Amino acid sequence: MIGIQRKIWTLTALVMFIMVAIWMMLTYYNQKTQDQYNDILQRYLRMNEVTVSSQQAVTSLNNYLLTPTEGNLSGLHRNQDKLREARQAVGALRNGQNDFALTSYMNLIDSLIETTDRSVMFRSERETEDSEQAFSEATRISRYISEMTLTLLDMELNTYQRFYRSIIEQSEELKKLGIWILLAITFGLLLFTYWFSLSITRPVEQLTKAAQELAKGRFDRQIKVSSTDEIAFLATTFEHMRINLNELILEMREKARLESELQQSRLLLKESQLRSLQSQINPHFLFNILDTLSKKAFLEGAEETSDLLVSVAGLLRYNLKRLDRSVTLHDEVRVIRQYMEIQTARFTDRLRLNLDIDDSCLSVSIPGLTLQPIVENAVIHGIEPNEDGGTIDIRIADGGDEVMIEVADNGPGMSRQKIRRILEEGDGEGEAEGHSTGIGFGNVVRRLRLFYGIEDVIEIDSGEGRGVRVLLKIPKTRRSEP
Amino acid sequence: MHKTISLALGSICVVFLFFTMISAIRFVQSGWQPPQAEPRQSDRYRLVLITQDLGTPFWNGVGEGAARQARELGANLEVWGSYGEDREDFLKQLEIAIDSKVDGVIVQGMDTEAFDDLTKVKAAFYGIPVITVASDVPMSGSMRRTYVGSDPYEAGRLIAKRLVRDMGNKGTVVLMADERDEYDQLRRLEGVRSVLAAYPAIALEEVRTPGEQERVIAATQESMNCFPDVNAFISVDAGLTGAMVQEIGRRAQVDPYHIYSFDDNPDILPLLREGKLDAIVEQSPEEMGEMSVRLMTEWLSGETVPLNADGYLTDIRMLTAADLQ
Repeated sequence: MIGIQRKIWTLTALVMFIMVAIWMMLTYYNQKTQDQYNDILQRYLRMNEVTVSSQQAVTSLNNYLLTPTEGNLSGLHRNQDKLREARQAVGALRNGQNDFALTSYMNLIDSLIETTDRSVMFRSERETEDSEQAFSEATRISRYISEMTLTLLDMELNTYQRFYRSIIEQSEELKKLGIWILLAITFGLLLFTYWFSLSITRPVEQLTKAAQELAKGRFDRQIKVSSTDEIAFLATTFEHMRINLNELILEMREKARLESELQQSRLLLKESQLRSLQSQINPHFLFNILDTLSKKAFLEGAEETSDLLVSVAGLLRYNLKRLDRSVTLHDEVRVIRQYMEIQTARFTDRLRLNLDIDDSCLSVSIPGLTLQPIVENAVIHGIEPNEDGGTIDIRIADGGDEVMIEVADNGPGMSRQKIRRILEEGDGEGEAEGHSTGIGFGNVVRRLRLFYGIEDVIEIDSGEGRGVRVLLKIPKTRRSEP
Repeated sequence: MHKTISLALGSICVVFLFFTMISAIRFVQSGWQPPQAEPRQSDRYRLVLITQDLGTPFWNGVGEGAARQARELGANLEVWGSYGEDREDFLKQLEIAIDSKVDGVIVQGMDTEAFDDLTKVKAAFYGIPVITVASDVPMSGSMRRTYVGSDPYEAGRLIAKRLVRDMGNKGTVVLMADERDEYDQLRRLEGVRSVLAAYPAIALEEVRTPGEQERVIAATQESMNCFPDVNAFISVDAGLTGAMVQEIGRRAQVDPYHIYSFDDNPDILPLLREGKLDAIVEQSPEEMGEMSVRLMTEWLSGETVPLNADGYLTDIRMLTAADLQ
């Protein structure tokens, strides 16, 4: 991950590097040129040194010849030494072009020194004429040296002409190179800076757009930022936020839906309670009367009537109590038995009941008063219309994850339209008229669906003359607790 | 938008980089190293050829021959000298050569005391051998090792014989000579005389003149006045020929006169080509140069010691206007 700070550092380092490189190049070139100039000057100065010291040697010889003192002699020797040194220095200037001339030059210097020595020697031997002659020769040689210096300088110019020109040319080229480098670097840096700034502002722009989208309420668009720096980090975080928000909103919607469903089920419950209340006038009074009637029947020896009355009382009590809470299947079955006892007393032989119950399934929880309305429905539509009565089969069996409850009669059956109305619209209000509890088939269907949160909880199979077979599929574990 | 800007900036940058590269390459290439210092080539002989007449075809020939031979033998040779027979400068050059202790001096001979002094005293003092070339000086006065060049005596004889053949054995001949008695001029005169002595009918008139042009013209006028029946001119010194021919041409037709000269002057060949000269003695300057350098190196390396003091003579021949065409 290249941070913005690192990008800035890179840019700065690059600029610094280029500046240092150029500075070093210029310094190196300057140093080189300086050295070359120094060399050239040195050459000229050395040659000039020869001329000067040869003239000095002649002058000091002249002084000595005029006044031959020790001081003048040592002055001459000093100048001779200087001349020798100059000769030595000049020796280093040899190159292919001036080999001959330089050797001649150095030999001339030797000759000059020898001639001055000779002159001094003649002088000390008092041979004035020879001494004078040697002096004039020395003067001539000194002049020749001066002339040869000029010749050598000339030669030097010719030899080095190309070199001098190359120095001038090179400095011209350097000027041009400087301008080109300046231009190239300027535009290079512009380009680099442009890219660099773009790499910072582009992700910011993308992020801004994404934020605008969010502000408009579009949470489903993914936030993409093509970058690897801090902005990318920001974008990733932003993206997380978007996803979280999205999930939260979905959850909220789900909750609202559940809430409304719950509200609906409560309303249904209230409605059924209201209905049941409408059908009851002071149940306690009714219970007490039923109890009294039961005991009276028992005392009068009508035990069967007494039992019947107990069943009726239990059924009533169950009705009143269990409507709004879940009960176990076991309770339901018990109520059905009581109910069937009553009905058996009513229809005697006309009603035949077959019970086939798997006891292991009875612990399943189930909304109160679910089976009873179904069984009652079967009695009303399957048994009552028939003079010969009918058979009701109730079967409870273990179906894996579910408990299968089947209620079947062999009455005239139900029309397809009616089944559809019950299952899809929950409409069975008209049916409730004849029900003891005031709770119709449709009410049961809707409550079951609400209770378990699944649609596929009930099946009705019927046809004209085939009877009605109702199948409940009760999950052993409830999917969601209300 | 971004792409366009990037592309524009990028291409500009590339163009500038390209020019920068070219400039940098040119900058690097423009650097030229100074000539390197070299050690002294001590094993090579340093020879100097000195003449009074630099730049003439004759001496250029000598110089070329000498330089070629020096290259072959691996010797260092320089040609020094003065222009236009400047004797003072010539002597100075000679002295410089001796003072700078060259290994050998090849010099155009000059029969003067100053020249003798330099060669005999100073060169001998430093132990520098001297070979005269083209113009000889007497051995005794100069202490020269040897002479390389044409035999002036023989050259004089050659011209005289030619004159007799062209003119017949009777007539008047003017010998135009330089006032300064150069050794080779004297020898040439001797050569001419030695032939013409056999023809008593040929009158021989010697005219001496200084080298300046006006004086030559004056001398020519005078001689033509004094000897109106002159048939032939022999210019013993090639340097006088130009002015002489010019003056003759001004006074009369050049054709009737038989005019002869030597070749050691730049004026000569054009005059010969124009037909104003009848014939000249042609020498072998390149051979002189070659031979002198060879002899000098042989002497220095001890191959030929001593050198023949009488000299080593080079080829001479007559060259007429007809030969040039």
